[in-house]
Amino acid sequence: MHAKEFKIRWGMVIDVDKCTGCGACMVACQVENNIAPVTPEVDAWAGVAYDASNKLRTLNWLTVYEINNKKAFPEYEVAYMPRPCMQCASPACVPVCPVVATDKNEEGGIVSQIYPRCIGCRYCMAACPYHARYFNWFDPTWPAGMAKALSPSTSTRPRGVVEKCNFCHTRFQQAKDKARQEGGDPNSLADGAYNTACAEVCPSGAILFGDLNNPAHKVHALAHSKHSFRLLERLGLGPQVYYYSKREWVHRLGDNYLPNEKKA
Amino acid sequence: MGLDRRAFIKFIVGGAAGTLFTPIPWKLADDSSIWSQNWSWIPRLKSGAVTADATYSKLCSAGCAVKVKKVGGLAFGVKGNADNALSQGGVCPLCANGAQMLRSPARVAGPMKKDGSAFKAISWDEAEALLADKLKGLKGQSGKVAAISGDGSGTANEVLSGFLAGLGSSAYYYMPSDQTTMAKAWNGIMGGSGQIGYDLEGADLVLCIGADIMDAFGPTVRNQKAIAAKRPIEGDKTVTLLYAGPVRTRTAAVADTWVPVSPDGGAAFALGLANLLIKSGKGASLGGFGEFAELAAKFGPDAVEKAAGVKTEALMTVAKALLMAKNPVVVVGSGSGQGGGVALAAAGVALNALLGSLTVLPEFPKAVSHAPDRSGLLAKDVVAWLADVDAGKAPTPEVLFVYEANPAYALPQAAAMAKTLDKAGLLVSFSTYMDETAALADLILPAPHPFERLDDAQSPYGLGKATYLLATAVAAPEKDCKSTPDFILGLAGKLGVDLGFGAFEDVLKAKVQAIGADWDALAAGGAFVSDRKGSAQADLGASALAKAAAAPKAQGTLLAALDHLNIGTGALATPPHALLTVRDTELYGKDLFVQMCAATAKSLGVSEGAKVKLTAGGSEITARVALNEGVMTGVVAAPLGLGRTAWDPFTKGKGDNVSKILAVSAEPGTGYSVWAGSAVSVAKM
Repeated sequence: MHAKEFKIRWGMVIDVDKCTGCGACMVACQVENNIAPVTPEVDAWAGVAYDASNKLRTLNWLTVYEINNKKAFPEYEVAYMPRPCMQCASPACVPVCPVVATDKNEEGGIVSQIYPRCIGCRYCMAACPYHARYFNWFDPTWPAGMAKALSPSTSTRPRGVVEKCNFCHTRFQQAKDKARQEGGDPNSLADGAYNTACAEVCPSGAILFGDLNNPAHKVHALAHSKHSFRLLERLGLGPQVYYYSKREWVHRLGDNYLPNEKKA
Repeated sequence: MGLDRRAFIKFIVGGAAGTLFTPIPWKLADDSSIWSQNWSWIPRLKSGAVTADATYSKLCSAGCAVKVKKVGGLAFGVKGNADNALSQGGVCPLCANGAQMLRSPARVAGPMKKDGSAFKAISWDEAEALLADKLKGLKGQSGKVAAISGDGSGTANEVLSGFLAGLGSSAYYYMPSDQTTMAKAWNGIMGGSGQIGYDLEGADLVLCIGADIMDAFGPTVRNQKAIAAKRPIEGDKTVTLLYAGPVRTRTAAVADTWVPVSPDGGAAFALGLANLLIKSGKGASLGGFGEFAELAAKFGPDAVEKAAGVKTEALMTVAKALLMAKNPVVVVGSGSGQGGGVALAAAGVALNALLGSLTVLPEFPKAVSHAPDRSGLLAKDVVAWLADVDAGKAPTPEVLFVYEANPAYALPQAAAMAKTLDKAGLLVSFSTYMDETAALADLILPAPHPFERLDDAQSPYGLGKATYLLATAVAAPEKDCKSTPDFILGLAGKLGVDLGFGAFEDVLKAKVQAIGADWDALAAGGAFVSDRKGSAQADLGASALAKAAAAPKAQGTLLAALDHLNIGTGALATPPHALLTVRDTELYGKDLFVQMCAATAKSLGVSEGAKVKLTAGGSEITARVALNEGVMTGVVAAPLGLGRTAWDPFTKGKGDNVSKILAVSAEPGTGYSVWAGSAVSVAKM
C-alpha cells in the first residue's frame, strides 16, 4: 500500500530504556481526553463486574505494557512500553471504515476519529494490529460530581462508538492558533510548541514528541537512530511512533521474529 | 389525466432522485448520527477561560510541584510546573489525579461524629466544643493525648506537636517510612543533627540498596528527573545506576545493573561493600571509625554471600564501581518505603561517609517556638508505642489525633494495630477521605484537599539540598472542610494553650521569613533551595550496628512488600483513573496477585494462578500466584495499597491488604521495630 507523504508528520520517540512504567502518562491521557473511569458494572448474566480491575471493558488510549526477555532469574530483564495510537502512514483502520469515520489527516498525519459518524461496527478495531482502538461499551459515567469540570479539550463520547489516541489533537489546534496570534507560522511550529499530555507529564522524559519531518525537532534525528524501531514494522503500516532501546531483545520483541531468525 | 403505472413509477423514481439533489437526506443522516449520540445523561464540557495556577500537591508522600488547570474557574487537571526545581515539569501518577480527587466519591462531606455504627453530621463549632470539653480534663496528663502524623515535611506538624506539648503530652508520632528509619539511625543512634540528603544531581554513580527511587523512595519525580538529565537518549551517559534488592523493581528496570540481594540482607551487603572500601584505603572522619572498621571486617565476601545471597564477584564489581566513580552516592531504604532496619540506614550513612558523599541538610528554623524538634519526633517508633499501649505498658490515649495518615490500614500487622487504635477514648481523624482510620474514628474533621488549602513542605526526604515549598489554595472548596492546623490553633486558643499564632497563614509567613525566602515567589510555585550544609559530625554507632547486623537470618520464604505509587499510598487509595494502571499481575478482579519465580513456586508446590494463603504476624491474606523471574529465589513479592475496606467502589474489596502480614520484630541493638524481609508462610488453598 502506498503511503501518502505529508509535509508535517507528528510522531513520538519513546525511550524504552528510560520508562519506569509509573503510569503517570496513562492518567494524564485519561484526564486530558475525558476518558471516564469505568465504574463497576455487574453483568449478572456473565457473572462479571466490568471495571478497571479486570480491564475487560475499559478504555485506555495509552497503555503501558510490561515486557521481558523471557529468561529465568537472575538473567531476567524487564522493560515498559507505552503504546499510544501509532498514527500509521498507511493505517489499516481507515480503509475498512464503512462510514468514513476515521481518516489520515493531511495536516500532520494524525489518524482522526469522528465520533458522531462512527456506527460502532468495530471493523477498525479488528483491523488495527496494535490494539490501539477501544469501544465504548458503556455511556461515560464519572463518579458523582467528578464530571463538574471536564477537560475542555475533548468531547465526551457515548456508548457504541470507537475511540482512540489522536495525539491530543486539540493541543495541535491550540498551538497553531497561538502561532497565528503571535505572528508565527502555524505550519512550522517550534519543537515543544505542540506536545501531548503523556509526553508533558512523563517524569523520566521517556516520551518525546515532535515533527518527524522537521530536522529542528529532536524526534527527527532520534527516529533515524540505529537504536530506534517501530512496532510490527514488517507489516508495512509505517507507524509514526518510534521506540528507542539499546537492548537487542526489546527490538526483537517489537516484531514477530522467529527464535533463530536474524533481525533485519 | 389519470395516473397510470408508468407515470407512478416515474414520479417515485424522479422524486427519489430529486431529493438526492437537495440537502434533505444528508441533513437527516447527519442529524440522526448527531442526535442519536446526544443524550442528556452524557456529561457536557464546561466552557470558560482556561487557566493554570501553581501549587504544591501533597497527594503523594513527597509531593509534586504542579499547575492546576482550570476551566471557568473549576479545576479539571494538572500539569507539571516546569519552573520548579523539584519536579521540573514531571508529575507522579498520583498527583496527576489531583483534580479528580477533589471530587472523589470517597471525600468526607463535613465534620462527623460516630453515632452507633454510623456517622452523624455535626458543625465545626460543635466539634470544637466537644474536643475542648474532652481535652480540658486531660491537660497535664502525660500520654493521655497523642497524635500520629503521616506528613513528613509540613509545618502543620509544628502546630500539632506544639499543641500536644502545651497540653503536657509528648506522644507525637510519625507514620513509619524510610525517613523515620533514617532519623532513628542518624539523629538517634549516631547522634547527628539535620537530615540526611542524597545529591543525585551531582552524582556520577547511584547505588540504591533496597530504595526504589523511581517508585517508592522520596520525591520520585525529582529522582527520575535527576537520573534522566544525566542519561540523554543520544549521547554519553554521565551517571551509572545500580540497584541492589530482592525484586527487579522499577528502579532496577532502568538500572545498568541489578544485584539481587535478599530482603533482609541489605545491611550485610552494605557492610560488605564498606569492608572492601576500607581495605582499599577509604576512611571516614566520623566518630567510632575504628570500631566500625572492625565490624565491617566481619563482612567479608563469604559472610555477605551467606547473609545477603550476593556472589563474591557481584560484590567486588559493585565495590570497584564505587571506587572508580568520582561522585558516587548510596541510597538506602526498603522496597516498601518502610520497615527497613536501622542497621541498613546506618550502614548507608557509613558508606556515603567512606565515599566522601555524605550529605546533611540543615533543619529550617521552627515557626512554633515550643514545638518539639522535628528530627527527634521522626526518630520515634510509632509501632513500638502502639504495641506498648496494647500491652498496657504505655497509657492508652484518651484522645488520639490522626493527621494525613491511615494507620488502621497502613501500619504493619494492620488488623492488630487497628484494634489498638480503637482502644483510644476518642479517635479523631483529620482525613480528607473516608479511609479505614476515618471509618474507625469517633470524630472525623475533614482536612481540605491539597489544592484547597495552604500548606508547605520543608526538605521532603530524599533531596540533596535544603528545599522549601509552599502550597496555596488554588481550587474552591468542594466540601465543608477546615484546615487542620487552623482548627488546632482555634482549639488551642479555647484551652489556653499559647502557640503564638492565631492562624496557620501567620505560622507559614513566620516560617518563610525565618528561612529568608520570598513568600510571593513561593506562592507563585517557586522553590526555595539553600546551598547551606548541615553538620556531618556524628558517631558511626558501631556497637548498636554490630548487634543489629548479627541478628539471625530469617528462615523460610521471605516477604518483599512493594510500594507502587500508581496503586496509591497508605493514606491514599488508588484513584479511579489510576486503577487502569494497576497490572493484571498485581490485581485482577478481586484477586490480589503475589509474584515469585518459577523455582520458588516449585519449592512451594504452587503454579501460575494458584490460590494461596500467606500467613505471618498472626494474620493472613489470600492471593493468587503470578510467576515473575524478577523476584529472587525464596522470596515472595507483594504489592501494598490494595484490599481496602473503606474508600469507594473503585478500591473497596479489591485484593487484600499486604500490611496485615508484615510481621514486626525488634531489631537487636536498636530495639527499633522492623518488618522488611520478614518470613511468611505460603500455603496452597
